[in-house]
Amino acid sequence: MRALIAAATGLAVAFAVVLTLTALGSPSGGTSPKPLLTTVPAHP
Amino acid sequence: MRRKAGLVLLALAVFFAALSPLLRWYAFPRLAKVPANQYQDMVLEAKDATLLDYGTMRAKKVPKVTIVQTLKGNVEASERIEESAGRDVVVWDGLSYVVGPDGEMVSKIPERYIFDAHTQEPVHATGEMVDGDPVRRTGIEFKWPFLTEKRDYEYFDAQARVTAPITYEGTQDFRGLEVYYFEQTIPWTKVKIPKTLPVEGLTPEAVAQTGTTRWYTTVRKFWVEPLTGAPVYGEEIHREELRGGTLLGDRDKVTAFAGHVKMREDYITHTVDLVKSQRLLVLVMTSYLPWGFLTLGVLLLALALYLEARGRRLSGPAPTAAEEPSSVSA
Repeated sequence: MRALIAAATGLAVAFAVVLTLTALGSPSGGTSPKPLLTTVPAHP
Repeated sequence: MRRKAGLVLLALAVFFAALSPLLRWYAFPRLAKVPANQYQDMVLEAKDATLLDYGTMRAKKVPKVTIVQTLKGNVEASERIEESAGRDVVVWDGLSYVVGPDGEMVSKIPERYIFDAHTQEPVHATGEMVDGDPVRRTGIEFKWPFLTEKRDYEYFDAQARVTAPITYEGTQDFRGLEVYYFEQTIPWTKVKIPKTLPVEGLTPEAVAQTGTTRWYTTVRKFWVEPLTGAPVYGEEIHREELRGGTLLGDRDKVTAFAGHVKMREDYITHTVDLVKSQRLLVLVMTSYLPWGFLTLGVLLLALALYLEARGRRLSGPAPTAAEEPSSVSA
């Protein structure tokens, strides 16, 4: 019985970690202030 | 104490074993996405190209034509569209700016490309356009999906404004990277005259009134890194003609542009380096971590079982009823 509870705890924590990670996502930031280029840049 | 350690190890074993598939098939498709605020530029060159001289309306050989392509993620527009679309969306405002050998503008075509940040499938919303005209894309453009497959894709051609297959032609090595080579041919197609022309005062409406039409064909080649779906190199064998109408006098057609367009060397190096670093991130999520966690889970499970077995052996067999001392009565 205790083994079953330990396994279920491990599984639940794994789900919690993954769900939290995906829910957090990544910040989208802001639009770059750089313009659309109308001159040939010297380098990337 | 040993039993407690065994249970903790078992919990950890299940945790890591479960994390492995969850990371690969649940987290990765949700976490891997094109950032909404990406800004990138690219320079392509066509050496020894043919270009129309609008002054004489005759084609001439020029040493070089340069195409500057910029893609800028519009975060505000993407957030607005996400509210109604209900998914992560990227809005790229792009500009293809073509410069002649004298540094003067030859053409400039703006476009807005809206797509799903995870799958790169096009998303249709107000503002999707090419050169100011509304369009409805049904294929990918600029970038392939993450974990690109060895198959044909539908690719949107912004000049002809059509979606056509781009075929998988094989796997190659490009500067140390394994890449998939794709090729698309757009046959001669009548296309719109750009809104901005290199001669001041000349408008597409004025050209259309002369009866002259613009035609275009291209062979598009892309070398795509399959994990990221990012093209590391591209080429185009591009031809444009003006046909018919009073603008050409007694001629049937004149070449407006013909050239073999290739990425500039410094941009190739930059792109390959960038893709190599991003490829590593995808590999970590899809291979290194899932396999590492699975291995760790199996090892921890083996250790937990070993501790449990050892614990049972040390405590010895439980006494049986036959071995119990019989009661003695006086």
